[in-house]
Amino acid sequence: MSAVLTLDQFAVALRRGRGKNVPILDDINLTVAAGEMTALVGESGSGKTIASLGVIRLLPRGASTAGRVMLGAQDLTDLSDAEMRKVRGRDIGMVFQNPLSALNPSTRVGAQITEVYRLHTGESDRAARARALELFGEVGIPNPADRLDDYPHQFSGGMRQRVMIAMALACSPKLLIADEPTTGLDLLVARQIMALLTKLRRERQMGVLFITHDLSVVEEHADQVHVLYAGRSVEWGPARSFFEQPRHPYSQALLGAVPRLGQARLVSIPGNLPDPETRPPGCRFAPRCSYREDACETAYPAADTLGGTVFACRRGREIVPEVLGAVPQAAVRARQSGPVVLQADALGVDYPRSAASFLRGLLGGRDRLTALSNISFSLQRGQCLGVVGESGSGKSTLGRAVLQMIPYHGRVILDGHDFTTMGAREKRAARLGVQVVFQDPRESLNPRMRIGDIVAEPLKLAGMSGSRARRDAAAALLNRVGLNDRMMSQFPLAVSGGQAQRIAIARALATKPAMIVLDEPTSSLDVSTQAMLLNLLKDLAETDGLSYILISHDIAAVSYMADTIAVLRGGQLMEMGDAASVLGAPQSEYTRELVAASPHFRSTNKMGAASGAVAVADKSGF
Amino acid sequence: MIRMITKRLLTSIFTLIILVSVVFAMTHATPGGPAFSILGQKATPAAVKALNARLGLNVPWWDQYFIWWGHLLQGRLGFSYLLNRPVTELISEYLGNTLMLYIGAIVLAVVLAIGIGLVQGVTWGRWPARLIGAFQLAAYALPTFFVGTMFILYFGVEWQVLPTGGITNLRDVHPGIIDYGRHLVLPILTVGLLSVSGLSRYFGASVHEELNKDYVRTALAKGLTFRAVLFGHVLRNALRPLVTILGLSFPGIFVGSVLVESVFNYPGLGYLLWRSALSQDYPVVSGIVLLLGVITVVGNLLADLVNGLLDPREIYD
Repeated sequence: MSAVLTLDQFAVALRRGRGKNVPILDDINLTVAAGEMTALVGESGSGKTIASLGVIRLLPRGASTAGRVMLGAQDLTDLSDAEMRKVRGRDIGMVFQNPLSALNPSTRVGAQITEVYRLHTGESDRAARARALELFGEVGIPNPADRLDDYPHQFSGGMRQRVMIAMALACSPKLLIADEPTTGLDLLVARQIMALLTKLRRERQMGVLFITHDLSVVEEHADQVHVLYAGRSVEWGPARSFFEQPRHPYSQALLGAVPRLGQARLVSIPGNLPDPETRPPGCRFAPRCSYREDACETAYPAADTLGGTVFACRRGREIVPEVLGAVPQAAVRARQSGPVVLQADALGVDYPRSAASFLRGLLGGRDRLTALSNISFSLQRGQCLGVVGESGSGKSTLGRAVLQMIPYHGRVILDGHDFTTMGAREKRAARLGVQVVFQDPRESLNPRMRIGDIVAEPLKLAGMSGSRARRDAAAALLNRVGLNDRMMSQFPLAVSGGQAQRIAIARALATKPAMIVLDEPTSSLDVSTQAMLLNLLKDLAETDGLSYILISHDIAAVSYMADTIAVLRGGQLMEMGDAASVLGAPQSEYTRELVAASPHFRSTNKMGAASGAVAVADKSGF
Repeated sequence: MIRMITKRLLTSIFTLIILVSVVFAMTHATPGGPAFSILGQKATPAAVKALNARLGLNVPWWDQYFIWWGHLLQGRLGFSYLLNRPVTELISEYLGNTLMLYIGAIVLAVVLAIGIGLVQGVTWGRWPARLIGAFQLAAYALPTFFVGTMFILYFGVEWQVLPTGGITNLRDVHPGIIDYGRHLVLPILTVGLLSVSGLSRYFGASVHEELNKDYVRTALAKGLTFRAVLFGHVLRNALRPLVTILGLSFPGIFVGSVLVESVFNYPGLGYLLWRSALSQDYPVVSGIVLLLGVITVVGNLLADLVNGLLDPREIYD
């Protein structure tokens, strides 16, 4: 198998402020073979995107690189800027995350594709258009001829990513670099994109460098895996060996952080990723590693192998795969079925939107769009209802209705009090009992407010007097979610995504709510951060008897948290029931598809069937 | 697209109705009424009454309001109290000069703003952009009449390369079109340059913002040169805020031209407005204010339409 891309001792340093360049990426050796997929895996801050930009030499101004980047037999670092431009788009195709922003919003997609084809082949407009049409067919866009002249915003997320792929393939590149191409897409759609990439690379004998933070996405598709931590390779080798026997403690932690049904506890990695300027001199993972010994902290470990993957860990030989299962499993507690906290009866939501008819639209006429219809459920104290569905399924609408943020019909009853029969003042007081945590913690925290004030604000609204008392209460809340109260005087931008989400949880806890609506609380976070947060939420449910409605498209996260699962599609309830039975024996075809599309979930069926069965037995005991 | 245009047109008509009503209210709320400003403060009550009857001011205000609307729809704006000529005639006489100044200044401002803004946006955070930023702020702080006076002092008096006043009329250009153009140079420069600082700052920031978007990285990854990305992808998207700001700054540019026209003794609408306001010639003032309102509304409508063409998402919302 011939190598399409070889990184040899590749290193990147970026300029930060005025000082010397800061090394971001060190000594990366990586190969992508023709027709194969190499997965470059790392969490945010690992340097994986810098690696891909380094290959195509589109690093930020002032960056410096070392080592060699071989595309076939050609060293890209030797090329002039003009020669490099010919390589981009012709020999290397790029697919980026979030195709809505990666495509020019004001240019027709057809023109964006023909542009790259004409640039590198010098073909006529007509030939380029024919080529674009052919590519659209190849990547599976229905009615390609009608869609060439559409704009990016007229496509759905998955179709937009297909447009990006078509564009990257226009000149039949030898190498495709895909940087988190499925992040942000719905499960089923992501799965289709992965299948498409696999089909295309096999047909075209094209190498794919697949960059992701989520190991489970690539489990079925990658031939090679390369794990980065803090800018260095920690483990690499054939995907099969890697998933069977990950040897590096970080790889194991990453795999263990993926939630599974019936698991009592997720593996979480203590501490934070080191900043590039203060990376430890020895093994960079050492400060967070439970296998650490003194020698780890002085020198970077040499690469070692036992025939499977290669790992940069002094103790990699001792660390056996069984360690994976030996996660500190807290005894699975039988949850008591408590009193009903929240009940929804025939909940429905209609949205007005501009009338479809032109004349009525001019006159301000409105059509009604049903976002949610006839949903009933009840939630007991300490329990979690998982709401699963794709974007547009109405799952967030459900959360908003429960939070009384939008008008709805039907009834929402909190602790025996019906919101629909309350007066305005009563309702305001009752609403304090239902809190919310949103998806993007940075966007949902006011960047101009100090963290202490953010957490204390709901206390003020709840009528707590005395700024001293409120500050003390806020500090206590921060401690409860595992944060240091010295953070009080900082601003949200100064903390990491995981910490920001903890702050959002502390804020939600401030009014001592009976329940919290979690709207995709971990979707924008790394796997290991997600594990920490889900563990925290689970602890809070047990200690405080908190109830949750967990809204997510991630079946794995839901399976870990939820006691009951509701599956929504197009505003309709497809299926609802005990978590184990909904996921284990789905009744509707749609649920079956969703479960099948969840790589996390499938992999657990294989690996953790036994522990899953125990949990199921436990739950069905009452 | 058609729906959007229709909606915007309906909104514009509504805006104009409000505008006309406000102008009517303002001119009828003048202390003592127009009769005093025409006849002087010592006018006898009988003379005032006779004049009010002649001007149609003796009927209730709501009748006047509808009569006024009737006249407006026929294109009649009334008579100037002082010059005793129809306001429409006065306006059309001065309009040509003002439009030349106005359009010239806008074209100059836009062309310079795009050029300067591109340089500023591309070099953002480095010395060329910082230098440009310093100049922009300095230029923004300069008062119009000061700049105009300095231009007169240097170009007209000191170096004597350009005329500083005495422009004739578009209709009867006596010494020839070249001479007319020479008279336009300094006023256009004065009005235009003052708009450049604000517009270019806006455009520079928006070029910088667009350059940091993901689609720029995509375009570069396709192998395009930076220049091709800048002109083929970034420019169009960066123009949208500029167009919006331009649409909103039309009245501001007009106010600038009032000052400039008085400095250069330039027979345009600004000059006419200034003179008429000083002598309380309300029909002329309200006529010009109305026209200015129409220009503003139409300007904004145009800006919206251009933005619709620049960004397809606008049309579908």
